[in-house]
Amino acid sequence: MRAIVTGAARGLGAAIAGRLARDGADVVLLDVSADVTAAADRLAAGVAGAGGGRGQVAVGLVADVSDEIASAAAVDRAVGAIGGVDVLVNNAGIGGPDTDVTGTSLAEFRRVLDVNLTGTFLMCRAAATVMIGQGSGGAIVNMGSVFGQQGVAGGAGYCASKAGVALLTHSLALELAPHGIRANTIAPGNMATEMHWDELRSRAARSGTTFDEQVELVKASVPLGRHGTGGDIAGVVAWLVSPDAGYVTGQTIGVNGGIWFS
Amino acid sequence: MPGRMAGRRALVTGGAGAIGLACARRLLAEGADVVLLDRNADALSAAAGIGAAPVACDIRDPGAVAAAVTRAAGLLNGPADVLVNSAGVYRIAPLLDLTPGEWDDVLAVNLRGTFLAGRAMAAALIAAGRPGAIVNISSTAGLVADAAEPSAHYNASKAGVLALTRQMAAEWAPHGIRANAVCPGVIDTPMLRMMDDPAAGAAYLRTGVPQGRLGSAEEVAAAVVFLASDDASYLTGATVPVDGGVTAI
Repeated sequence: MRAIVTGAARGLGAAIAGRLARDGADVVLLDVSADVTAAADRLAAGVAGAGGGRGQVAVGLVADVSDEIASAAAVDRAVGAIGGVDVLVNNAGIGGPDTDVTGTSLAEFRRVLDVNLTGTFLMCRAAATVMIGQGSGGAIVNMGSVFGQQGVAGGAGYCASKAGVALLTHSLALELAPHGIRANTIAPGNMATEMHWDELRSRAARSGTTFDEQVELVKASVPLGRHGTGGDIAGVVAWLVSPDAGYVTGQTIGVNGGIWFS
Repeated sequence: MPGRMAGRRALVTGGAGAIGLACARRLLAEGADVVLLDRNADALSAAAGIGAAPVACDIRDPGAVAAAVTRAAGLLNGPADVLVNSAGVYRIAPLLDLTPGEWDDVLAVNLRGTFLAGRAMAAALIAAGRPGAIVNISSTAGLVADAAEPSAHYNASKAGVLALTRQMAAEWAPHGIRANAVCPGVIDTPMLRMMDDPAAGAAYLRTGVPQGRLGSAEEVAAAVVFLASDDASYLTGATVPVDGGVTAI
């Protein structure tokens, strides 16, 4: 399996790349941050240390997925590095400004749409073109959000971008099914990531509460009683890109500890 | 992934049916101990040849279900921590011809049976203070209507299973019990009626199923065992269609 994971320098993306590598994939880690090179090196060393051997590859590439030329070039380089692409995981995303619509600038709104939605479109377009050319099928997993399934005051741009990702993915699934390529969305809930902690810091500041109080509020709202982890998401990605999910396409899989049923 | 279910104790209702049996095989292959429940004793003893223990049980009968869950706990050396509710019947009847008796018969197996087995399993697990996972077999028929093959009682029972699953998830999450539903689409099993007219069936596969083929019981089982496994540790109350893209709408 040859996989590209975006937003892979840290957080969910790093956990997904790690799981796919442990399951035997050659992985290209893509990120806008130069830290991705070190993340890929750590992963390569970890997999080799765990007896992965087999000449498995983990490569880091720096690119902004919202840049049409840079994202296409990154897919080209990824294909060069691992010999093709069978799996694309679009995990790169930003949290948006945490402001009401009436207080959100056009630039801020566009930025979250550019990265989360347009970036996903650009990466899908480039990678699906390669997959179709290979003629051997493939799997795409796009990261939506529970906040693409329900609205949040102060999060309109983020919610709209993630709802867009889900319907982009459904449409893509219909177009790619004849080529044996499946496309699904994962909709995480509240995850233990820096993006979520930033959001809670912002909420704490706005409401005159502490960060710890915000963390406890979220945990209390989750039926399973905890934040999700990178491992929680990686397990679902591993299933969706495997033959075990061979008849699953065009779906949004909620991974949210029970806060939203879809 | 051999060993993913090692140490797990699984109960599969409708265990002599195509999907139930495929789930049991996959659970066994990944290391679980498995008890099969089915009301058809002959089919059950044949199915048990795969290495699972058979317990005959009419899933509609609360006393029989309670006794079977207790018997299964004895066979498994502890209460089941995986329950696959696969017992189900399928009938076709246009609404205007559908009798109340036929309605009740389908609801009794598909919805009441899922409730009874889920409640008995969860009660034993909660009493033992152990976590677990329930996977209910619903259907894409619980998500979309079909005038060409009318089965309102079946569709309503499967939509009911989705609501029941969400309620199980909400009520039992504090006990560490996850509950999720799989919605199979057109799956190649004896229950499938769509291919009775091969030409019409093939035409539907071409035009109505994005992946252009029937699914297999093994593909449903793969989703079921994923949901029961720790790979799905943060999923509860979810609906997972396995339908070749039919509901990608």
